[in-house]
Amino acid sequence: MPQDRIYEDLSLLVRRARTVFWIVAGLSFLALAFYWKLQILDHRKYEQMAEANRSRMRVLAAPRGLIRDRDGGILADNVASFKISLLRENVKDEAESFPLVSRLLGIDEATLRTRLDLHRDLPLWEPLVIADGLGPNDIAPVESRRLEFPELVVEAEPRRIYPGGTLAGHVLGYLQEPTVEEIRARPERKLRPGEMVGKSGIERQYDDVLKGQDGAIYEIVDSRGRVIEEGGRVYPIQGNDLKLTLDRRLQAEAERALEGREGVIIALEPGTGNVLALASSPTFDPNKFITRFTPQEWLALQSDPLSPLENRSIRGLYAPGSIFKLVMGLGGLGFGFVNQTQTVYCSGATEIYGAVRHCWFAPGHGAMDLADAIRNSCNIYFYALGRRMSIDQIALAAGRLGLGRETGLDLPGEKEGLVPSVGWKKKALNAAWYPGETISVAIGQGQLQVTPMQVAALTARIARRGPGVRPRLVEDGRPPAIVADPPPAPGEPAPFSPATYEAVIAGMWKSVNDGGTGQGARVDGFDVCGKTGSTQTMSRESAERLARAGRVIKTHSWFSGFAPRVGPKIVVTVLVEYGGGGGAMAAPVAGRIFDLYKQELEPK
Amino acid sequence: MMMIDRRHLSEIDWVLLGLVLLQSLIGAAFIYSSSHFLPGAYYVRQLVWIGVSIVALFLVLAVDYKFFVSLSAYFYGLVVALLALMLVFGRLVAGTKSWLTLGLMQFQPSEMAKIVMILVFARIFAEYKSPYLTTHHTLGALLIAGLPLLLIILQPDLGTAMTFVAIVGGSFILAGLKRKTIILLVAASLLLGIGGWKVGLKDYQKKRITVLINPSGDPRGSGYQVNQSKIAIGAGGLTGKGFTKGTQSQLRFLPARHTDFIFSVIGEETGFFGVLAVILLYFAMLARMFLAVPKARDRAGVYIVFTASLLIAFQFLTNVLMVVGLVPVVGITLPFLSYGGSSLLTSFIAVGLVLNVRMRRFANV
Repeated sequence: MPQDRIYEDLSLLVRRARTVFWIVAGLSFLALAFYWKLQILDHRKYEQMAEANRSRMRVLAAPRGLIRDRDGGILADNVASFKISLLRENVKDEAESFPLVSRLLGIDEATLRTRLDLHRDLPLWEPLVIADGLGPNDIAPVESRRLEFPELVVEAEPRRIYPGGTLAGHVLGYLQEPTVEEIRARPERKLRPGEMVGKSGIERQYDDVLKGQDGAIYEIVDSRGRVIEEGGRVYPIQGNDLKLTLDRRLQAEAERALEGREGVIIALEPGTGNVLALASSPTFDPNKFITRFTPQEWLALQSDPLSPLENRSIRGLYAPGSIFKLVMGLGGLGFGFVNQTQTVYCSGATEIYGAVRHCWFAPGHGAMDLADAIRNSCNIYFYALGRRMSIDQIALAAGRLGLGRETGLDLPGEKEGLVPSVGWKKKALNAAWYPGETISVAIGQGQLQVTPMQVAALTARIARRGPGVRPRLVEDGRPPAIVADPPPAPGEPAPFSPATYEAVIAGMWKSVNDGGTGQGARVDGFDVCGKTGSTQTMSRESAERLARAGRVIKTHSWFSGFAPRVGPKIVVTVLVEYGGGGGAMAAPVAGRIFDLYKQELEPK
Repeated sequence: MMMIDRRHLSEIDWVLLGLVLLQSLIGAAFIYSSSHFLPGAYYVRQLVWIGVSIVALFLVLAVDYKFFVSLSAYFYGLVVALLALMLVFGRLVAGTKSWLTLGLMQFQPSEMAKIVMILVFARIFAEYKSPYLTTHHTLGALLIAGLPLLLIILQPDLGTAMTFVAIVGGSFILAGLKRKTIILLVAASLLLGIGGWKVGLKDYQKKRITVLINPSGDPRGSGYQVNQSKIAIGAGGLTGKGFTKGTQSQLRFLPARHTDFIFSVIGEETGFFGVLAVILLYFAMLARMFLAVPKARDRAGVYIVFTASLLIAFQFLTNVLMVVGLVPVVGITLPFLSYGGSSLLTSFIAVGLVLNVRMRRFANV
């Protein structure tokens, strides 16, 4: 054949290539012929098969893993239950079918339509759950009318229950159906509509661990939805169990102590960061709304002004009040602004930057060194220290002690709080810092915001004599996560030495055991060390004005401490909203937790 | 190495390029039809990949194919190393370790291995001038193809491994097979086949082959896929159910309806007319590719054009016959039509090589 090519004779290759090409052509023709047979000659047969034999896949939901406390007691379990789904492709006529279905199941027809509208985008063959959490008696009427209702599918599913009711509700969290938006936003998670996924707490944090692998039943059904044959099934695999660090007795006691109030109690081991109790009040019973529907209970919880669904321990932002004096003490001593023996004279009031500031104890404490100032929670001492340190040194100390950032507890949604500084105020409010604000921060007021978990972590750090440990709810055989002190930037002082911590601890010990503000937390033979706090919930000026008018102003009540002083085993942090003075309200509550720990849990 | 100039531009086979683009757009349309109700917007991703692939094709055109051939040994080393790395670190996607994750894009190095093998074989056989292959040469070529092939089989990605048959077999046919060599090859593959069946094949792969012989034996596994696919295509009839109107009920459990089984969707929704049109268009495209064989200026060019064309033809035939149950379900995509970035990119690059050889037929050596 004539070639365009001028260099070598490749005609043999071209001939062979041509042969192969004709084979390809022949096979293509063969394929076409086979499609002709399939689509034209056998069309009727396949059409009938398509009509008559519909395949259906029913998902067998995998039971979630159990959640246990540190002794193996079950906190979250599964029970058998049934759900009923609607197959829209089997609905012949909505106007005829929906009233019957709603009467049969006792669902309001409007509710039913809203529910179906919500998932209008899903393909028609996707079954939509319209009733769940049913027992055998609930499904009997549906099962017996199966032929009349080809659009209804009854399926068994494991349902989550929390045997303890409200016990550790905020820690465990709850499950809900993913919304349409969530399914679309995260295709890689392969969420199914109607599946129950962890929405908060441990259930959400460890959703991947707890959720198992769903199985499936494949079946051939006829056009009326009757199963002709089962084509096989894949069994579901239950999710992995999870063992929490929570102790049931401490948790229950903490929740009892908070009953009827708003507040938080945290107990953790300073050595490991293991959280033994985490109570946030008011709380909720997830059993009441683990369903795909929004019952009254859920709506009520959502609109409750006391926000019972919020986990206050990691999401509640509070001024630390006098608890912050621990940070001031560590910073003042560690950065060299005071030494342990220097005293400040407290006469009950002092004038700073042209304003008169009062100590909470009007007659005055007299000459105070650091330990006594912590014992008596003397404001005058810390006003003086704050003035010496300046706000940026205070912020540096607070940052080193873990304030202003998440503690890293393994629960979703933790807030980081706020440590104000000159730079922060310029950036956030575009305003200059006033020296008077430093004085407020020095006693834990002003813009300062912390979560109770941060206070617990701070207390654990003091108990350990530094460095800090990351609090956790799941131990899982891992060593404690130590939060190493970052190396100081050039010109910054070295990390706090154990001796610095020791000096502050001396004040904390006195506070509880030597007639200080924290004596309510005293437990015989357990050497509790702690610090109280009472946080003003309004500006100092209005508080003083109301006090002059004879009104009783309830402050938020704090206590945070650890025991024993040497070889600390437990940290307890208590916050009671509007509980009054920290010494009167929070300290005795903490005392109850320390006492229970000593009586029942302390490893002998 | 020679950059593209105006003389070359006029030699580009624009008809072939048009056919390729048309196929890709048909593919994207049916990907939309079969997956628009799923989260993930597959058709958008496919359109993005079509864009990326066109750019890649023109990049391939810009450089003389001789330069690629001269670098083929390095490509080979690179791809083997990559495949070996995948085995060690590969993220498990759909049970195989064949995906490389580069940021948001996932990529299969085994797809690239096909292109590399085309270039490697072009280089080996460019200097091979005798009319028939010697046993010595056959074994050498088999060893060279065998190393990446083994790594791909280990992933395990049987589908991609199968396409090596087209590249290796095509090269051997061109080089000339004597009766003795054919007998040797058949005997060796039988031996390997039986041995492989005993020790090498995974259960799911064995099942796919037994299912071919007896499809009703496993209505739920791979036989199920084929049965559903056949019902869908058969129910399509002459004119089909209409775009996006396919009874997804028949195909909804097909895990790969927008990838390996895209042709079932076309068959169901457009009927025999649609199948006829797509197969004719495809055949026209293949013919344009094979027609470039006599236009190659040298031996390496002939090998490149022929093996690249045969690779596409092989995948096309296997896939089209697979979805109606005439060959086992091995996971071979339908080039240009199936969903998948790596497959699309590889196919475009293969066409790019064909165009490259064709437009440089007058180039000075």
